[in-house]
Amino acid sequence: MVSSIAGFFKRKFGNRRGLLDYSLLFIVLFLLSFGLVMLYSVSSYEAAVEYKGDAAYYLRRQMVFTVFGLILMAGVSLIPYTFWKKVSVLAYLMSVGLIVLVIPFGMEVNGAKRWIRIPGLPMQLQPAEVAKIGVIILSAMIVEKLGRRALATMRGFVFPMIPALIVAVMLWKITDNLSSAIIVVAIVFGMLFVACPDYGKFIAIAAVVAVAGVAIVWYIVNSADTGSMGFRGERVLAWLDPQQYAGGKGYQTIQALYAIGSGGVFGKGLGQSMQKLGFIPEAQNDMIFSIICEELGLFGAISIMLMFVLLLWRFMMIADNADDFYGAMLVVGVISHISVQVILNIAVVTNMIPNTGVTLPFFSYGGSSVFFLLSEIGIVLSVARGMSRNELAKYGE
Amino acid sequence: MSRSRVVKGKNTRGGLKRFTISMQRKLAVLFGLVLLAFTVLGIRLFLINRDNGQIYKMQVLSQQAYENQTIPYKRGKIMDCKGTVLADSQLVYNVIVDSKAILQKDVYLEPTLDALESLGINRDRIREFITNHPASQYYIALKNLSYQNRKEYLEKVEAGIAQEVKNKVPAAERRYSNIKGIWFESGYSRFYPHGELACTVLGFSGSGNVGTCGLEEYYNDTLNGIAGRRYGYLDEGLNMEQTTIEATDGNNLVLTLDANIQSIVQKHLSAFDEEWKNVDHPGNGSNNTACIVMDVNSGDILAMAGTPFYNPNQPSDLAALVGMPKLDATDSPTDGYLTYKDILVMSDEDKPRYLNALWSNFCISEAFEPGSTAKPFTVAAGLETGTVKTDELHFCPGYKYVDEFEIKCHNRDGDGWVTVGQAIESSCNVALMEMAEEIGKENFTKFQNIFNFGLRTGIDLADEARTDSFVSDSTMANSMLATNAFGQNFDATMIQMISGFCSLINGGNYYEPHIVRKVTSANGTTLKTIEPRVLKKTVSEKTSEKIREYTIQVVEGRHGTGETARPAGYRIGGKTGTAETYPRGNNEYIVSFMGYAPAEDPQIAVYVVIDRPNYEYQDDATFATAVVRGIMQEVLPYMGFYMTEPVTDDEYEELEELGLAVTYTGDESPDKWEKKD
Repeated sequence: MVSSIAGFFKRKFGNRRGLLDYSLLFIVLFLLSFGLVMLYSVSSYEAAVEYKGDAAYYLRRQMVFTVFGLILMAGVSLIPYTFWKKVSVLAYLMSVGLIVLVIPFGMEVNGAKRWIRIPGLPMQLQPAEVAKIGVIILSAMIVEKLGRRALATMRGFVFPMIPALIVAVMLWKITDNLSSAIIVVAIVFGMLFVACPDYGKFIAIAAVVAVAGVAIVWYIVNSADTGSMGFRGERVLAWLDPQQYAGGKGYQTIQALYAIGSGGVFGKGLGQSMQKLGFIPEAQNDMIFSIICEELGLFGAISIMLMFVLLLWRFMMIADNADDFYGAMLVVGVISHISVQVILNIAVVTNMIPNTGVTLPFFSYGGSSVFFLLSEIGIVLSVARGMSRNELAKYGE
Repeated sequence: MSRSRVVKGKNTRGGLKRFTISMQRKLAVLFGLVLLAFTVLGIRLFLINRDNGQIYKMQVLSQQAYENQTIPYKRGKIMDCKGTVLADSQLVYNVIVDSKAILQKDVYLEPTLDALESLGINRDRIREFITNHPASQYYIALKNLSYQNRKEYLEKVEAGIAQEVKNKVPAAERRYSNIKGIWFESGYSRFYPHGELACTVLGFSGSGNVGTCGLEEYYNDTLNGIAGRRYGYLDEGLNMEQTTIEATDGNNLVLTLDANIQSIVQKHLSAFDEEWKNVDHPGNGSNNTACIVMDVNSGDILAMAGTPFYNPNQPSDLAALVGMPKLDATDSPTDGYLTYKDILVMSDEDKPRYLNALWSNFCISEAFEPGSTAKPFTVAAGLETGTVKTDELHFCPGYKYVDEFEIKCHNRDGDGWVTVGQAIESSCNVALMEMAEEIGKENFTKFQNIFNFGLRTGIDLADEARTDSFVSDSTMANSMLATNAFGQNFDATMIQMISGFCSLINGGNYYEPHIVRKVTSANGTTLKTIEPRVLKKTVSEKTSEKIREYTIQVVEGRHGTGETARPAGYRIGGKTGTAETYPRGNNEYIVSFMGYAPAEDPQIAVYVVIDRPNYEYQDDATFATAVVRGIMQEVLPYMGFYMTEPVTDDEYEELEELGLAVTYTGDESPDKWEKKD
């Protein structure tokens, strides 16, 4: 079936030769396998408690997601990435539409309405994940169309930002998902940083954001009535002094810190975490990295971070050698996405920023994020095919 | 990989076509920034470990403390000789409420309160608790929820959740899925399936498996098991090891007591109490009406009871106190009686005093002057020492002067000339006083000791009284010897009297009275069998034969005082007792009858004591003989003794009413005293 799809695209977009980027594929498969092992270790206790002894409940589901995700990745990698440029506006509008669909068809999990039930399938779709890929596809197209001169101006920064901001505001207001909104904006910010020739405005914006952040924190700390600011205000206070809020909003953070701190250099050993025994609720989601630190220690944690560095390095190579600007921009978008998510996730578990729900790619449990993460990898693999053709062309095929 | 690029395509008007070198550079900068962020995070991880690692390690370990759980054991059962369960422990649950879990989300509160209400817990009480203790994770909302109720509840909730998932009910409207913070803690609670049956024998066991009174107290350690434990510990490599030590359930008791005989006895005691309730004064039919049924040839207790009864399932229910005598400062009964009103206003200091009186086992814990039931003992001491001859005669003018006291006979007109046997038959005090004189203080007190008066019998029940301070020694006054001869001025307990009496009629074997026949393990294996134990030889078979002869005359003789004790169709022996209580002259008496059957080959002894019957003229042993008759009439056929005596028409009618007419074999040759089985 895969070959017939490939054949269809070959006929449609011409005969594109190219090789699979085996280095990237190896890193991705390694991270996926490692992620599944850790997910099983982290989730087995809670799964056994919640699903009547079925310790492999989360693992089994995640394996199914991963297998389908890999098929999706293979399919996408066979589609020439120029296809996405043609459908970019459509893809963007679809992701906006999905967010709107949350209003009537949304499904509440853990008190937040962020998911859409897929009829006939035992899983839910998170529109935020679709939005991230939609924004990458669209922004790459806009930046390409704007041209070099425009990118040097402020307009060249603001204009591509508008669709991203629209999606971000929708994610924030409709699905109450501020972290995804921040990620979407950060992805486009990263893409523009690479595309625009200057540094000035980025430094200025970063400075403004930093000052605004400090001001907001200062305001929350000095405000008498924190209750009126909702759960986010309290999260900021819990971030500053997790011990004080150990019984409430600071609980997860302080337990994660206990996990990290008790791991030591080489950890307690795979499967030996004590914090996963009910102390860090739903550790298989956002807090998985803290259990990894507890079981595998600093050594394991830094090894995982190095694997991500390797992945991003390979992405950078692919972007640098991409066939054209659009392909490179897609890869830069994926780089931004994955690095922002990894950085935010680890920053949360180490309590460097206030607690916000960001998953760790390849490790955290969740169908939507695996599907769209692997789709993004598929796009990168597709770009990498072009690269290899160039490489071959260079040596005079 | 080559970083140089093949220049291809042009930067046309349509937009960017190439990823330029400057962009590559900026991408490298971005990559560098990401690396920097990773480095910062890595340093942060390192610092957390370096600065707080030890503290956090300890925190993690200290949090594991909850893994240390006790697994409750099941306290052993108490069964009668036929296996009827008299006391059992049931698996029950405490309902624990976790405020913190409930308060996680607003939508949890109402469904959880609904669920608690369905378990019979007041929702306002829980709502108030949760509001006041939002951080509490352990609050016992309900104790002793039955296994069945819990099961029904869990099934209902499970079905409800399945239904909600199937119907895709919105999260906020889910009634069952939003139940949070309720969990169950298992334990055992003591249960007495037959309520009042054998209450004073059993005692009761409350929380913490601590037995109070009776068997529950005496055999507390046997009945209790060893609690198990589930705990986690850390091995050298800081690995969590889970270890479970299962609980060992307690051992069971199998009694000599027969629940059927016990219920016959309790029925007749209750009937007496009902009959005489509120007759002379408001209050129970007597202060105490008590009965012991004993196997003459083994010391097995077949039944033991004393009014007022209480329900060991609710031992502290004050309603059972109504009608009991009020107690004075020394806990002795007075002439006042408790009413409902008294109970409502009873002070907290008084409650335990009265409850202790309610729970006390009259048969073993209360000492009283036995009265004329002591006469066979005096005669036996005389015959055994040879100081009293079987053919001697005594003259009774109705009184006897001892030192300066005039001591009256039972029969104020005097019994005239009486033989030893007739002295017992007509309960002549004067003849007994003269015999005691012949026996002498030394021999008399020696035999009091041989008969174990004042000493514990060693019965396996809690709170057996020792009354030796109430028994005279050989330095006593003459008047003391004279009155002791007919059972006044010394105190004994019922169990002392009947144990001694059994030895008088069974050939002189004094058996240690006991109530537990076997101890079995939780799975039914016999661990220990308690065989009948002869403590001593009190009298010779010859003396025993004489005592049987005399006591049969008490029931059958022309002047016999115990005639009304004879059940239809049977020959029995026995002795009545009517003892004045202190202070003398208050017209309050303890009346009793101690009988045995069958007459020629005694198998069971029945002793009934009525402490101050609720009637103006209390000095009448027929209160007691009637109760003994009623009990024997039903117990003897139950135990398989054939009727040997012809019954009158009236008696036959009575048997028919009891449904016992079939046991009368009429003119058939009485194959005497053989048990049916």
